[in-house]
Amino acid sequence: MSAEGGLIHPLLLSEGLGLGEMTILGKEVEFGHVFYTWMALGILVILGLTVRGRLRLVPTGAQNVLETLIGGLEDFVVSNIGEAGRRFMPILCGIFLFILTMNFMGLVPGLDAATANLNTTAAMAVCVFLYYNMVGLRRWGPAYIKHFMGPMLPLAPLMFPLEIISHLARPLSLTLRLFGNIRGEELVLVIFFTMAPLFSTLPIYFLFGLAKGLQAFIFFMLTMIYLKGAIEHAH
Amino acid sequence: MEKRRGQRSGLWGTAGRASVLGLHLVSGMLVGGALGYFLDKHLGTGPWLKLVFFILGLGAGARNIYLDLKLILREQEEDAGSEK
Repeated sequence: MSAEGGLIHPLLLSEGLGLGEMTILGKEVEFGHVFYTWMALGILVILGLTVRGRLRLVPTGAQNVLETLIGGLEDFVVSNIGEAGRRFMPILCGIFLFILTMNFMGLVPGLDAATANLNTTAAMAVCVFLYYNMVGLRRWGPAYIKHFMGPMLPLAPLMFPLEIISHLARPLSLTLRLFGNIRGEELVLVIFFTMAPLFSTLPIYFLFGLAKGLQAFIFFMLTMIYLKGAIEHAH
Repeated sequence: MEKRRGQRSGLWGTAGRASVLGLHLVSGMLVGGALGYFLDKHLGTGPWLKLVFFILGLGAGARNIYLDLKLILREQEEDAGSEK
């Protein structure tokens, strides 16, 4: 976290490694959150590879945890979208695990949550927006426009701009919700840490752990709802 | 075990759906306002498109809320149906 919030993070790995800021094409850019995004990617890839290398029929350890988590998510998706939802499990589950990892990295001392930067969340929300529209277009072809026409044909001229606005509002609300929540939590943690280190921050970890998990779940759930809307019949 | 898992994801699902309501109402207005602002700036049509798109944004926000509430209600009815 740089000066943008008016608060200096007491301890950051990216600053220690000299990766907090970078000069790319003659421009000074803040690089810390990109570094943490890559770190989250690295953690997930290494975790995935180690678990894949030691797959057992009777799961133990990390395999057990991941199987429970992914199995639960798959049940949730199938109970909402139906069997067609299994096709979207990779992207949905990827989104959930990626955001969850990045969110929880904010609770580790010395690391920062990459989702506390507007650019990270905006990139993911735009990807989700493009993806579900692409899925809808491929499923329905030109008839996808019926999804924007509202329930009755005479009302279509009124409903069309309304639907366009409400679809455009989706990435915006995805972006702002995740960013606002995580950023706020990071700020509260820094403020509490400067007031009373450890004594005040440790109890709040429990609350923020729940909130960060819930935010990752909400992003995952909304993506699922949008995908469901794209592959379902219009109204 | 299966039932407990179902109840827990139901709680999380409802918590998620309820907590998105506020921002869904506001983001429609924001997008409507921004669209109107940029269209006005490029077409030079005075304050009119701003007004029209802001009101459309209000409508879109209200519609988002309506859809969310319908989703929550449908889920509750399904839950009630499965308990019988």
